[in-house]
Amino acid sequence: MSTPLSLSGLDLPRRNGELAFDAPWQSTVFALAAAVIEHAFDGDREPFRQQLIAAIAAQPGRPYWESWTAALEALVQALP
Amino acid sequence: MSAGGHHPAPASPVEQRVAALEALLTERGLVPEGFIEEITRRYESEIGPMNGAKVVARAWVDPQYRQRLLADGTAAIAELGFGGPEGDHMVVVQNTPGVHNVIVCTLCSCYPWPVLGLPPAWYKDPPYRARMVREPRTLLAEMGCPLPTDAEIRVWDSSAEVRYLVLPERPPGTEGITEAELAGLVTRDSMIGTARL
Repeated sequence: MSTPLSLSGLDLPRRNGELAFDAPWQSTVFALAAAVIEHAFDGDREPFRQQLIAAIAAQPGRPYWESWTAALEALVQALP
Repeated sequence: MSAGGHHPAPASPVEQRVAALEALLTERGLVPEGFIEEITRRYESEIGPMNGAKVVARAWVDPQYRQRLLADGTAAIAELGFGGPEGDHMVVVQNTPGVHNVIVCTLCSCYPWPVLGLPPAWYKDPPYRARMVREPRTLLAEMGCPLPTDAEIRVWDSSAEVRYLVLPERPPGTEGITEAELAGLVTRDSMIGTARL
């Protein structure tokens, strides 16, 4: 590690990785899960996490955000 | 958000499902006005590996902070203003010349959001989740992070509660640079444990 680094871009999450989301629907479904967790489960993330684990296990090769969508659908169906 | 909408493409099946979820949840009053935009903005511009880099740089320059960080990751990370979802129980594991740490979530995609943002695609993919547990040395080498054969590799599987962050070793030859410059050296992957600095 020799050269000092430019700090430009230090404040961008994408700096040394890909963007958080590839498409608007991905950020939407991410935020929808956050909304449900916050407003229907009092911030408890575990019920959604269990649905996500199940959705990934059901179709391991499915694109991640599609599994996320399936998990949220299952969680919402179980809402009273 | 773009101001677009001039040339809408036909919605794909998953886009239609997400739109249906949005409509349903909005109708039920679970999605406050502006909530989606605000969450998106935060995860695209405020929450990401630059936060973890600041934590690591502070630990490199301040031995007392380092002690606090290793003793209670959540509290020490909160000192720098970082916390929130997926960061309630943070454990920081430090690399040493003989020990290399790496994080994984074998069941889904648990990841320390407040300090690293959302996980990269490969972190969520089955090969990484399975192989990092089964053959970490081989996988790390394939990812460009070969380790000495006598180095111990510790693989941390994120559980329901705990989220891990790797504290990489400070690179040699960085004695004269500032904390902010040090933060600029810290890569996301070094804090996952799939790279060394």
